[in-house]
Amino acid sequence: MGKPMTMEKSMSTERLHDARASWRKGAFFRKKVLPWLFVAPILLINITVVLGPALSAGYYSLTDWSGIGAANFIGLDNFRRILLEDSSYKSAFVNNLIWLGLFLTVPIAMALVGASVISPIRRGALFFRLALFVPYVLPSVIVANLWRTLLDPDRGIMGWLTDQGVPGTDIALLGRQNTVLPTIAFIDNWHWWGFLMVLFLAGMQNISRDLYEAARLDGANRWEEFRDVTIPGIRPVLVFMVLMTAIWSFLTFDYIWILTQGGPAGASEVLSVLVYKNAFQAFQAGYASAIGLTMSFFVGIIISIFIVLRRRGWEI
Amino acid sequence: MTSRRRYHHLIILLALALLFTIAPTGAVTQAQDKAQVSMWFNSTGGAEGANCIIEQAIDTFNEQSDDVEVTATLQANSWDATRTALAGGGGPDIVTTPGPSFAFELAQSGQLLALDDFAAEYGWTENFTPWALQLGVVDDQLYSIPSEVETLVLYYNKTLFEEHGWEAPQTLDELMALAEEIDAAGIIPFAHSNAEWRPTNEWFVGEFLNHVAGPEKVYQALTGELEWTDPEFVSAIELLTEMQQNGWFMGGLDRYYTTQTATTFAMLAEGEAAMKIEGTWAVSDLNTYFGEEGGNANEWDWVPVPSAGGDPIFDLGIGTTYGINKNAQNPEAAAEFLSYYFSPEVQATLAVECGVVPAPVEIEPDALEGLDPRYAEIIAAMNEASEAGDYGYTTWTFWPPRSDVYIYDEIERVWAGDTTAEEYLQGLQSLFDEEVEAGDIPPIPER
Repeated sequence: MGKPMTMEKSMSTERLHDARASWRKGAFFRKKVLPWLFVAPILLINITVVLGPALSAGYYSLTDWSGIGAANFIGLDNFRRILLEDSSYKSAFVNNLIWLGLFLTVPIAMALVGASVISPIRRGALFFRLALFVPYVLPSVIVANLWRTLLDPDRGIMGWLTDQGVPGTDIALLGRQNTVLPTIAFIDNWHWWGFLMVLFLAGMQNISRDLYEAARLDGANRWEEFRDVTIPGIRPVLVFMVLMTAIWSFLTFDYIWILTQGGPAGASEVLSVLVYKNAFQAFQAGYASAIGLTMSFFVGIIISIFIVLRRRGWEI
Repeated sequence: MTSRRRYHHLIILLALALLFTIAPTGAVTQAQDKAQVSMWFNSTGGAEGANCIIEQAIDTFNEQSDDVEVTATLQANSWDATRTALAGGGGPDIVTTPGPSFAFELAQSGQLLALDDFAAEYGWTENFTPWALQLGVVDDQLYSIPSEVETLVLYYNKTLFEEHGWEAPQTLDELMALAEEIDAAGIIPFAHSNAEWRPTNEWFVGEFLNHVAGPEKVYQALTGELEWTDPEFVSAIELLTEMQQNGWFMGGLDRYYTTQTATTFAMLAEGEAAMKIEGTWAVSDLNTYFGEEGGNANEWDWVPVPSAGGDPIFDLGIGTTYGINKNAQNPEAAAEFLSYYFSPEVQATLAVECGVVPAPVEIEPDALEGLDPRYAEIIAAMNEASEAGDYGYTTWTFWPPRSDVYIYDEIERVWAGDTTAEEYLQGLQSLFDEEVEAGDIPPIPER
């Protein structure tokens, strides 16, 4: 009995050993290989459509590439031109900063107020959410042309107001240097703020009612409830959307291109419009790449600020 | 029984599948016997024109050719698509560009096939007007063929002019005086806007440079014998700026920047505006907005854009060029099609049936029967100027690409009063010098 028992024991130990080894192999596969297999398709796509072009843009920014054919290496000449010669770049950069300022304030404030007002509504809540969200799902070309017609001083709302004798309405807002950028920002904002509002609303609905009741018991008014309960309650969403808004503001292109192509007299020209003009109209793809890289640099600064804040313990 | 029935059904299905497979294969085999040639047509802004060309030129060619078949594809933003495809080693066999300066860039970067042998074989050198064909020459080799010779003229509402007793102007002084009179009558002098096509600005810059300083001076500047800062060029830009700042273009700068093109035509046809400096491409729109089709009883007419001395000057341009992709599988077949496409007969058909401005080939007047007589007059006058070599220069044809973009972008700063005409032209000169140094200047035919 003793011997066979030992053999059995030894066999079962071997099996156990094998099983453990195979489990370890399986665990290694599950933990180390399988996740990469799941990620691989999107990783491949991103390498193809993001990393590849990004690296090639880095290379072309050091060349005089026209967009077709051979590219000659010219060192940092494109960046020298950006810094020292191109006045359009400076005015476009300033316009980007104005755009950033507008989008970090107006739509976020509107969305916070909108979400706070809609949040307590129970009956018809879906209607309000949908009505305010719908502009976000409309294509930019539709929204731009809709507002172009509405703002037409002869045919649109402005024309109607002029006919009613409202002073100061007989102007083409998209045709004046001092009004064009805020007008395009208004149109873009019209489509954008509803999306922000829906996100903030979702965040607000996760805040416990008890916190509001406790605040009320402490004598908080509506503004204090908003400041001390709502804002801290949605801070992660709020900060994330501020980050995304800041990034997208630097990349904005569609509304400006559709409505004015950067005009009049460069008053609505932003960096992305300069990239397009240089790459596709002036055969300056190398220079356009350099401008594109500077845009990435500014976006990188914005992201870095958020990373630093997070490391310093901000809940974002 | 059941399994036998199933077996029969299977046989029938297989037979049908075989039949369907064989039937198209026969047709495909027949088509594949022909050398295939691909080309793209721009469909942005509507495919009506492209479809007409396909029907009148491509389908007819395919019907009569035993060995070549051309496949036409409608492509949105076809020029951007073509450039991108060419950079990636693909693209259509027949490469169309929006003008010689674009073809020049493609030829310089080795994307096009030299056409000299085909030009000799098909007699293109004799068929095409020399100056126009010369625009496709890079480093002594022909790379592109010009299509659609364009010019700009002064269209006006003839009925409105007759009602007010106004005479169509010949000199720039007459034009200025007339515009003032029209403005005083509460009518917009010029139905111009750039809301849908910002490069519209360059039409006017080009017209004023040629018509104030004269084409000879423009030629000298293009060939480096004269600076763009010459006082006569400065006067030209100042005159244009004065007209803009007077609000003569659409009633004010803000309206010029925002009015839709259709509205400008409608206002001209309705008599709310009096004149329009625009290219030969505008004729079909004029016929849509004037007369019965436009719901009014008004008529349009034209005169050459007035010049300082009153001599008629036609600034010529090439709207499209055709070339052959260096990677084309059947370049000989592509050249055979191009030869057919640019024959006077096909060009005349395209002009009459599709409203396409003909290529610079000699077309018998009889072949243009059915064309609007006013349009036929413009073509005849333009051809006369072209053959005599006494023509002006459009910016999109004869200027290098960066200078061209500068011309239409930066002029808005002059109109806005942010910069002066001298500063604008100094900027143009320094950019032009850079492009000359880089060898980016399109070929300028000798005068």
